[in-house]
Amino acid sequence: MTAENKVGAVLVVGGGIAGMQSSLDLANSGFKVYLLDSSPGIGGTMAQLDKTFPTNDCSMCIMAPKLVDVGRHPNIELITYSEVESVEGEAGDFKVKIRKKARYVDVEKCTGCGVCAKECPIDAVSVFNEGLSERRAIYLMYPQAVPLAFAIDREKCIGCGLCENLCLADAIVYDDKDELSEINVGSIILCPGFEEFDSDQKGEYGHGRFPNVVSSIEFERILSASGPYKSHVLRASDGKQPKKIAWVQCVGSRDLGCGADYCSSVCCTYAIKEAVIAKEHVPSIEPTIFFMDMRTFGKGFESYYNRAKDEYGVRFLRCRISEIKEDPETHDLTIQYETEDGQLIEEEFDMAVLSVGFTSKEDSRDLAGRMGIDLNERGFCQTQEECPVETSRDGVFVCGAFSGPKDIPETVMEASGAAAKASGLISEARNTMVERKALPPELDVTGVGPRIGVFICHCGINIGGYVDVPGLVDYARGLPGVVYAEDNLYTCSQDTQKRFVETIQENHLNRVIVASCTPRTHEPLFQATIREAGLNAHLFEMANIRDQCSWVHMDDRSTATEKARDLVRMAIAKASIIEPLPMVELDITQSALVVGGGLSGMISALAIAEQGYPVDLIEAQSELGGVMRRIHHSSEGMDVQGFLRDTIGKVDSNPLITVHSNSQIIDIDGYIGNYRTTVEQDSDQIEIEHGVVIVATGAVESKPEEYLFGEDERVVTQLDLEGMMAEGADLSGKTIAMIQCVGSREEHRPYCSRVCCTDAVKNALAIKEAHPDANVYVLYRDMRTYGFKETLYERARAEGVIFIRYSLDRKPTVAKGKDGLVVGTRDHILDMDLEIEADLVVLAPAIIPQPGNADIGKLLKVPLNEDGFFLEAHVKLRPVDFSTEGVFLAGMAHSPKFIGEAIAQAYAAASRACTIISSDKFETEATVSSVNEALCSGCGLCAAACPYLAIELVDGKAVVTTALCKGCGVCAATCRSGAVQQKGFKDEQILSLIKGALCEVL
Amino acid sequence: MATETEGGCQDSADKHIVVSGKLIDELEGLCEEDVFGCYQCGTCAAGCPFMDEMDLTVDEVLRYVILDKKEVLESKTIWLCASCFACAERCPRDINITKIMEALRQIVLRQNIDETDLECLTDEEKRSIPQMAFVSLFRKNIG
Repeated sequence: MTAENKVGAVLVVGGGIAGMQSSLDLANSGFKVYLLDSSPGIGGTMAQLDKTFPTNDCSMCIMAPKLVDVGRHPNIELITYSEVESVEGEAGDFKVKIRKKARYVDVEKCTGCGVCAKECPIDAVSVFNEGLSERRAIYLMYPQAVPLAFAIDREKCIGCGLCENLCLADAIVYDDKDELSEINVGSIILCPGFEEFDSDQKGEYGHGRFPNVVSSIEFERILSASGPYKSHVLRASDGKQPKKIAWVQCVGSRDLGCGADYCSSVCCTYAIKEAVIAKEHVPSIEPTIFFMDMRTFGKGFESYYNRAKDEYGVRFLRCRISEIKEDPETHDLTIQYETEDGQLIEEEFDMAVLSVGFTSKEDSRDLAGRMGIDLNERGFCQTQEECPVETSRDGVFVCGAFSGPKDIPETVMEASGAAAKASGLISEARNTMVERKALPPELDVTGVGPRIGVFICHCGINIGGYVDVPGLVDYARGLPGVVYAEDNLYTCSQDTQKRFVETIQENHLNRVIVASCTPRTHEPLFQATIREAGLNAHLFEMANIRDQCSWVHMDDRSTATEKARDLVRMAIAKASIIEPLPMVELDITQSALVVGGGLSGMISALAIAEQGYPVDLIEAQSELGGVMRRIHHSSEGMDVQGFLRDTIGKVDSNPLITVHSNSQIIDIDGYIGNYRTTVEQDSDQIEIEHGVVIVATGAVESKPEEYLFGEDERVVTQLDLEGMMAEGADLSGKTIAMIQCVGSREEHRPYCSRVCCTDAVKNALAIKEAHPDANVYVLYRDMRTYGFKETLYERARAEGVIFIRYSLDRKPTVAKGKDGLVVGTRDHILDMDLEIEADLVVLAPAIIPQPGNADIGKLLKVPLNEDGFFLEAHVKLRPVDFSTEGVFLAGMAHSPKFIGEAIAQAYAAASRACTIISSDKFETEATVSSVNEALCSGCGLCAAACPYLAIELVDGKAVVTTALCKGCGVCAATCRSGAVQQKGFKDEQILSLIKGALCEVL
Repeated sequence: MATETEGGCQDSADKHIVVSGKLIDELEGLCEEDVFGCYQCGTCAAGCPFMDEMDLTVDEVLRYVILDKKEVLESKTIWLCASCFACAERCPRDINITKIMEALRQIVLRQNIDETDLECLTDEEKRSIPQMAFVSLFRKNIG
């Protein structure tokens, strides 16, 4: 494959959060994206969730902006309700056959008004609400669905023709047929997701038989405002509010009986979340979580667990449940469990939630077969630790739960990582498949009085049926400044938008108002249209007469109309004093600076270089490699040192990468696209110009302060043990006691270090394999071998490694004995003291942040969390970004993690960085804030309040860095002297709205 | 856990159960189950219909074996097991615990220890214990 033949487009299969993130990264880096989903809309599982852990953010609220971005991105083409038939060709040039299933609704014409579904006489089960409620035969997946277009369920539809008659947009296509088409792409990303375990298979829990036993995803829908009970927590049997709810963990996970030899990674934390949210909904609810090991290993999860216990009063009981019984009269449930001291208790509950695990989808397995991708024995996509986003086929990449159970942030990291790999392969073809629309120059409106055009939308009968739209048009015509007004059946339809441009030009309009639905979904569309007509996009106002008039006052036409008049009058009042807001274009230095030459830093640097941009890699030590230099074998069998040597070799020989070893960063100046960094190397100072920064400073192993560490040389750390074994230490016949959580999950350091459980199991297995006669004891608190790492734990048990659980209030003791070391602990099952005569005690010390993080954080103006690790912009959806634009995060600087996870995150950071440096220009927001120096008293309140660090005090006056400002308006709200104003939302403009609301005559 | 007897009859040392080598080896030889695979999750105990009567919980029995504690052979639990297979059916590690219980009983039975000392039975016991029970008992001991 020569560079010229590569196709600058990528197919992304699966429109969940992973597919959306990959698509946005690619589309923003100059590649065309086809985003395919088998359902009628994108959104995936995340759209079904109520809240997300550990921040309790509303899932839909944080996801909706991404949905909208994807839906309207000029470089992303949505192919919904479709399947991949076949893939031919090779990496760089694939030909993909796609079957578009008959949807019976024309997506281009459907405006999503919903009149069809309102009148459809046929009920069907809502799959989105997990069967807990009904929908019609013609349906929209969920209210915020993208594309906002209906589909007909032909298995249910009786073909009565009502919808066809009602649809004024003429969107119903009864004789729709499957269509085959072919697209040409350079690479492919697979992210079809997972399926929840079907809990009906565990008959003993009664799901499907007992109405008050629900699965966790069903419970998410019950909690959700768009769910079957409109966010009221109710029992299905009698519609009453439950008091005692039990969560049963590991349903379809860690269960050989269901063929699941793995842990589903997320259920412990999501059960805690559901318990906490249920309690927030109804404080009288008493939640109990029955668990085996509490696997809250992620960033911030352990403190979430502690909060649930201590602040919310969630009861945690360590016992796996054998069965759930039901009283057939009351439908109350009985659960029998064993307490930790061996007592058997029978307890009644009003409801039980089964925490179902992840399984692979049959459709995805078929897809893998058609594409020639290897699956593992569990039906998930087979990946390698060296690059967790690569499949077995060249040019085909994977992210999200298709390659194994994982949570949202990791999915998002992998999604960006897969985008980096998919675009790296075709980087030569960047910008070859994307179109830039040529726009006419902007009309100068200075000094010209307002000529306002008002467009009022019927939205079929969605608005028109409840508001007197023609009357509203007449009313608008009579208001000052209005020179044109019309009503449209659908203002947003393509033909209306074409006429829109002509109308603006013919009537010399210089302000445009649309009274229709919500600006959240439609403002960008209208703004783009008026820009095509030669107007600045901000000479636009919108009145939401659908949500606020026809929807809330649907029984009262005159009130709805009156309110619509108020809203339109307000918009007109403001429109006369709005100004064009220029988009500022900044130049971008198309290169990156990577701080930290460990594994993550090196992988990020290589990935950016692969995209064709120069990288400066700063390393404090004399050699590259970081903490990985001390790791010898991985849990997945990787030759760590060999891989490290390879990677260092690639970095050293890459002409685009400049390595600065023994170097310290002295100063960082500038902002996104334009950084100037001073680096000191052997007392020489150099200055580097770059557009973005990746922070990959890593983490370190803490030095234990207990268990005779440092006092007895037979007490070592897991990393020491690896070194000893690599040097061929003879442990034959020896007794080795491993102690977990040394300095982790304690009051002074509450987080879990994530990797130590698997590390201990990995080393225990290595010992047993080399010396079967060695005795290995692992003293642990919760065994957190999540995901497929569970199989290692199972193997270690089968090999005869003895696991003894201890609790924080009864920590093990280590003392010097006659010959060996005596490790004292208490057996958790038998409740009796045990003494182990050990030849070697191996500690698993906490992983702690680099001590230098605070300095780097100050230089870059990026925050650390309470544990000293860097704090990302958003823990769920922006896991590798900082809230300061242009700065990204990779590897253990973020939190402790495994090699494969660090690699995925390093690729992700590279992908995010390339969305900026792949263009030589950067457009700032137009609705930024500005400071009137004459009024500014220099109090600094605005600078302190700005979440994006875009305001600084210079010579006693607030100065806004426009490139960093996101236009949130916090500064304007805090300013006491009115010096800070947000463009587009100036005080006088807001006041004009209020005046418009209160005065009948403008 | 020592077997209690009445009427002045004492345990004699020769009645103790002897396991040559590791209990686990002997057990796994008999039942071919992976005892070490046990998670100690408690499912078996939570679902056992006779737990109330048992001196050791089911997961405790497995823990004794893992830690090579031979006292387990003197527990009432292994004899109270009704072989209902509830534990085996629901074990997430797919361990057939019922088979392990049987193997533990076999280990004891193969010692040919006769715990019945008819002279130690009280008149009340002789009257109240059904005749079938005596027949079964003698049969068990003759193998």
